[in-house]
Amino acid sequence: MYFWKCWRDTRSFALVFLVIAAAAMPVTAVVGKGTNLQEGFGPSVFLSTFVLMLFVVALGLGTISAIQEFTDKTSHFLFTKPRPRPYFVWAGWVVGCLEFLTIAFVNLFAGWLTLAHYSKNPSWSVLRALFKEQDVVGVLIYTLFIYCLTYSMTIVLRNGLKGLGASMGITFGLQATQIALRMRWNINVPLPPLPIGSLPIIVSNIVWIVVALLIVFAAQLVVERSEI
Amino acid sequence: MNELAIGTEGLAKSYGSVRAVNGINLSVPGGAIYGFLGRNGAGKTTTIKMLLGLIRPTAGSGRVLGMDIRSHNIAILQRTAFVSEKKTLYPSLTPSDLVRFSRGFYPTWSDGAVEKYARLFEIPMKQKFEKLSNGNQTKVFLLLALSQGADLLILDEPTTALDPVSVDQLLHVLAEDALDRGCTVFFSSHQLEEVEQIAEYAGIIDHGKLVMECRLDDIKSEFRLITAAGNSLPAQISSQVLSVDVEGNFCRYVVTKDAEGFAAGLSRNGATITNIVPLSLREIFLELVRKEQSCTSGNVGATPVRLP
Repeated sequence: MYFWKCWRDTRSFALVFLVIAAAAMPVTAVVGKGTNLQEGFGPSVFLSTFVLMLFVVALGLGTISAIQEFTDKTSHFLFTKPRPRPYFVWAGWVVGCLEFLTIAFVNLFAGWLTLAHYSKNPSWSVLRALFKEQDVVGVLIYTLFIYCLTYSMTIVLRNGLKGLGASMGITFGLQATQIALRMRWNINVPLPPLPIGSLPIIVSNIVWIVVALLIVFAAQLVVERSEI
Repeated sequence: MNELAIGTEGLAKSYGSVRAVNGINLSVPGGAIYGFLGRNGAGKTTTIKMLLGLIRPTAGSGRVLGMDIRSHNIAILQRTAFVSEKKTLYPSLTPSDLVRFSRGFYPTWSDGAVEKYARLFEIPMKQKFEKLSNGNQTKVFLLLALSQGADLLILDEPTTALDPVSVDQLLHVLAEDALDRGCTVFFSSHQLEEVEQIAEYAGIIDHGKLVMECRLDDIKSEFRLITAAGNSLPAQISSQVLSVDVEGNFCRYVVTKDAEGFAAGLSRNGATITNIVPLSLREIFLELVRKEQSCTSGNVGATPVRLP
């Protein structure tokens, strides 16, 4: 029943973005071609659209998946249900994550069809090209990280706007710090989805996914210990 | 007496230097209706939250339905229905949605009870929670709690925002339906009349301390206010003397048993007994928790100093 509640809370957002995800790639291609703003719908436009779409979805789902459950007003109702608090944390996360991955898949699929339509290459080679060089996987890992961070911040701060603000602050703060460290002291700090040191790319990806899950786990620990 | 539904020993909660609950010993018999009284900020809600595991006690222990509140929180919640003082729920859900949401958590859930109480309380089940009046929002909470099939109902000021008819309906439901099922009802309230109407036991909390706990029948039959005048009157609180107020040569005692004997003892020591009167729950509550006493014939307009 709680999964139903989580789906009910997020379905409007998810369905709207599912439609946008399906339409974004062909619309971008048509508009781009019509206005001559770009040379054509190639991989770079595809990736830009893909990362922008998933970034917005990650922030949105991360916020609304937890916005109602953990606020001061209603948490006493939820936490007097006979389930351990981690159940509520992870149930909301799972529903949001499934919606996020569905939107990502639809967006990717629409992008692939659009690319295939505008490309002279056969469709499968277009898809292979997308996954090569870590591009698509990198975007997925990065935005999944953003989703986990936003969800966790919303839970910990028990407020959607504050959670969203904190998540964006941390995201941009980390990137600014990374740039500053590299420019000032020539220190390279890896951030998702960049490879970690000399680790193989697949291992780096797994590490970043684990880090994202650890952020949610840390939020769970806070929720478990919080007094309502 | 049945096994205790709620029992605490020295249960305490501090926030920094503020002691919200200061070592209370509650004894709520199983199958009884227990009124938990206190002023705003006395510690009622904090106590309830500790019983339900929403906050952790700083000290002491407690058992609910025979289970330790620190280690068996989920098992306690499985058998306990709770109505919070904050009557806020998910705004976009209708009462029907909330029933659907809550049903899955409780194996003892009763859809028959949902229908019955929805009809009784006249709850618009298809209207969004945010669109309901305050009274109807409170009724939705009560509907969910009553339909849960719980062994223990913990209600934190359940009659807030209810109109007199709904209050009467609720008290009727608690006094008959809940008790018929052997359910224990523990409810906090400011409304002393409500407690007197249905409760069998009452506890009064003030500044985090339980200052009285007794059967309401005992109040009617045993509790007396004795006003005495004299020199060197005893001013100790004991198992027999619930409170003492001294002002000059006048003393007011709230005596829990054998008032005649106590008065006779005072007389033997040279005191003049000016009054022995029975007390209502309201009068006892005011005696125990008010800071400034009103001018009555009993205290001859004095502003007494409360003894610890």
